[in-house]
Amino acid sequence: MPDSSIGDISDTSFVPPSHIESSDLSTSNDNINNNNDNINNLKTQIETEKNETQNSDQSMSQAQVEELYPIALLMDELRHDDVASRVQAMKRLDTIAIALGPERTRNELIPFLEDVIPEDEDEVIAIAAEELGKFVPFVGGPQFATILIPVLEKVSACEEPIVREKAVDSLNQISSALSNDQITDDFIPLINRLAKERWFSLHIAATGLFKSIIIKVTKQERLDLMKSYSDLIHDDSPMVRKAAGKELPELIDILCNHFDTPEKLDELNWNLITNMYESLVNDNQDSVKFLSVDVLISILKFLKKINETTQINDLFTSLMTLINDPSWRVRYMVADRFDSLTNNFNDEKYTLKLVPNIISLMKDNEAEVRKAISKQLPGFAKLVNNADNSIVLQEIVPVVNQLSLDESENVRSALASEITGLAPILGKDATIEYLLPIFVEMLKDEFSDVRLNIISNLQIVNEVIGIQLLSESLMPAITALAHDKLWRVRLAIIQQIPLLAEQLGISFFDESLGQLCMEWLWDPVYSIREAAVLNLQKLTKYFGEEWSKDEIINKILEKRNTKDFDNFICRITCLFTFDHLISVVDAETVKEYLYPFINDLTDDKVPNIRFNAAKSLYKVAKSLASNYKDIVLQEVKPTLEKLTDDEDDDVRYFAQENLVKVEKLL
Amino acid sequence: MDLDSDVQMEDAIDQHQQLQSQQSVNNSTTNSSLVLNEVPISTVDPKTQRNTLDGWIEQLSKCQPLSEESVKELCEMAMEVVKNEQNVQPVQVPVTICGDIHGQFHDLMELFKIGGPCPDTNYLFMGDYVDRGYYSVETVSYLVAMKIRYPKRITILRGNHESRQITQVYGFYDECFRKYGSSNVWKTFTDLFDYFPITALVDNSIFCLHGGLSPMIETIDQVRELNRFQEVPHEGPMCDLLWSDPDDRGGWGISPRGAGFTFGQDISEQFNHTNNLSLTARAHQLVMEGYSWSHQDLVVTIFSAPNYCYRCGNQAAIMEVDENHNRDFLQYDPSVRPGEPTVSRKTPDYFL
Repeated sequence: MPDSSIGDISDTSFVPPSHIESSDLSTSNDNINNNNDNINNLKTQIETEKNETQNSDQSMSQAQVEELYPIALLMDELRHDDVASRVQAMKRLDTIAIALGPERTRNELIPFLEDVIPEDEDEVIAIAAEELGKFVPFVGGPQFATILIPVLEKVSACEEPIVREKAVDSLNQISSALSNDQITDDFIPLINRLAKERWFSLHIAATGLFKSIIIKVTKQERLDLMKSYSDLIHDDSPMVRKAAGKELPELIDILCNHFDTPEKLDELNWNLITNMYESLVNDNQDSVKFLSVDVLISILKFLKKINETTQINDLFTSLMTLINDPSWRVRYMVADRFDSLTNNFNDEKYTLKLVPNIISLMKDNEAEVRKAISKQLPGFAKLVNNADNSIVLQEIVPVVNQLSLDESENVRSALASEITGLAPILGKDATIEYLLPIFVEMLKDEFSDVRLNIISNLQIVNEVIGIQLLSESLMPAITALAHDKLWRVRLAIIQQIPLLAEQLGISFFDESLGQLCMEWLWDPVYSIREAAVLNLQKLTKYFGEEWSKDEIINKILEKRNTKDFDNFICRITCLFTFDHLISVVDAETVKEYLYPFINDLTDDKVPNIRFNAAKSLYKVAKSLASNYKDIVLQEVKPTLEKLTDDEDDDVRYFAQENLVKVEKLL
Repeated sequence: MDLDSDVQMEDAIDQHQQLQSQQSVNNSTTNSSLVLNEVPISTVDPKTQRNTLDGWIEQLSKCQPLSEESVKELCEMAMEVVKNEQNVQPVQVPVTICGDIHGQFHDLMELFKIGGPCPDTNYLFMGDYVDRGYYSVETVSYLVAMKIRYPKRITILRGNHESRQITQVYGFYDECFRKYGSSNVWKTFTDLFDYFPITALVDNSIFCLHGGLSPMIETIDQVRELNRFQEVPHEGPMCDLLWSDPDDRGGWGISPRGAGFTFGQDISEQFNHTNNLSLTARAHQLVMEGYSWSHQDLVVTIFSAPNYCYRCGNQAAIMEVDENHNRDFLQYDPSVRPGEPTVSRKTPDYFL
């Protein structure tokens, strides 16, 4: 590669990198990185340099060397041994082109790239292909744009999809600058070459090029292009058919948006479109066939727009075959787009006809299909409800009930995320009677995402049936789960309490729920107690200090007078609770309530409590430091000092550690 | 109840090997005191020690084994701590008493989730940290590291598996070899095991040990007189303390394990009465509920490896003793194990 045509570019006016001190290398490199504005200056500089004719390297001033050198470096980098360096250089291809000017870019850089690029690594080609899409101004404007086509055509033969897609994108970008003559003379022949070449990769590239010019061409050309596209839809290679099928909906949308008036309809070549759809529906590969669903949506959308109904019946029949396809991927696609399909049939008659089908999809053997249709339920239910308001309740809700007990946790989880959307459709009474029991059951699901999805979407239900009823019906479920024998279930409920509190507000927190939150503190399992403490901390944050004083702080203080307080676990849990509250309440409350309690525990007979109290004292000091510095100095610090003489090693250690931290505070 | 099948012990190793290992104990004890002086981390300055240890503990808590050099350092530090403990190590209440762990590292982490983290909760482990499970190295390293970090908060006794002979048969030796490419780590740990205390006495009232009683031990003071710094012998009082089991039959019986004895309720009554004990707590046997009373509540068996050997389907338990000697058993199931299919099925890339 070193001896290739690039050598011509870096002739006299360029300084080979070897002439530059290594220290200069870095500074100049920074220049090019940081200072894109300089590029234009550079360009003039180069031009001047050239006009001044063949100066030898030595005669150039140091300043000139520094300014010119980056281009040379970049050109050199394009030939670098290291792939990463070539990638970096390719990313700055535009800089090189600007520096060279349009003429030399056309005459030297583009031929060079044409030579070099197809031989390079995929990642380098991908960058080059992407950069070339922006090259129209650098080669001298639209009239020269077609010069970029050959190199990109070579790249689009690449088998690596990422590279090919970049080349196709760039070609599409360039095509927007082309005049009608250029399209006729260069771009359409390009498409024809690609589509007729006996190599699947080129056919795939061709499928991506129609959309950018299909509107611009003449009627006859359009017919020819549509015919070539139709050939691609019928290609021997499934990969090509797949690519063509994937692009077809967009192509249809573009055509339909442009030719949407009755007099232009014949320019659409509608027969070709429906033929292509038919061919996709009947493809023997399911990975091609399922693409017909999106095509159908595009077709329906257009027919809906022009109010054309004669073909609807046939299309509905084809949808029926897709819904009952033996391949689950096809059924999945229908299930996934169900809402959109129904919407675009735009006729209650068909909506009602689809009811048995949605039910069969909900009972599909394949979990992925059930999962997809679960997510479409509220949208479809709304449409059905407009047609006949008894169907949702009588036919769909019973199957929803079955789905809520589905063997696949992903199906249940998907259902849980959408099922609350049925509440507004069913209305208050039916929600209470039929949906709430399902919610309650799903709240007990062993899979935490299911529970979480229900709880996170309760707000919608709240709007329908009101907070009072909601909390009344959910409370038994929450209470039941609060005492579940599996501690992980209890944990999941506690962890969702802050979410409920945040969503439903303080009014939801009646007596019993508040009591529940306190009860968790006395759980035999440490992790539950820990979660309970964090929960109370969060509740205090949401509901404020006054609430916390009534519901938490005073109740903990009352605990001190009970027999439970003789137990070390009870005392340390109280300590942990207060420890976590320090950071979320005012200094006033810390001084009045939390500090005296913590201080009492510094004399506890159990060392574990004493050293945890020592840790808490630092947090107390931090809270009191600004407003009650005297307490910190006269009480907290001496207490810690006393604890540094404790009989227990660990108490001394933690007292010392926190004493140092307190001293730093002061 | 008695599924523990350590019976082949006698056949496991020949006399020659045993002699060799005895020798190496002696060598390593002299060596280690030398090495100790060269260790860059001070064993005197508690602060430096704690910083290093905290790093190790953090690493171990993620179930990542330490390097061979660190294990060596760790065991030297641990030896300094445990060699000064007594044969009957006194333990204060409140304390949480635990049984066999057997290399089930994730279940040990579950144990701390149930009982609370050390040092906030005090722990007493009654031996058998290694063998059977897949993570013996991580388990015993973690416990030993915690012991050094909080010597007053955690007590670790010796079980019958903390021995050179047994670990060569039941997995710890092979695991060390697999994870470190040599038996050095196994040797370092088994040398350390010789220094572990063999029994503990909780607040002069609960006698804790791995196995059970011995016909040659009538009083706790007799345990105090034993020389415990040795490989677990094939017979004699120290062997019995680590190997015996309670039995429904009265008096002393021959143990099917081939080491230790079985002892009846009369023996327990006599021993608890003589030593003014309320309870003897021990581990050593798989019990399906995680704990099991015998001898009319004079003896309790605690087993803390849930789903022992990943297939027994048993619950595990720990016993919390509070400062007023109230006892509370916490049972638990296996943790969610890594590698189990908890991830949902993803839609394959080729699909969409």
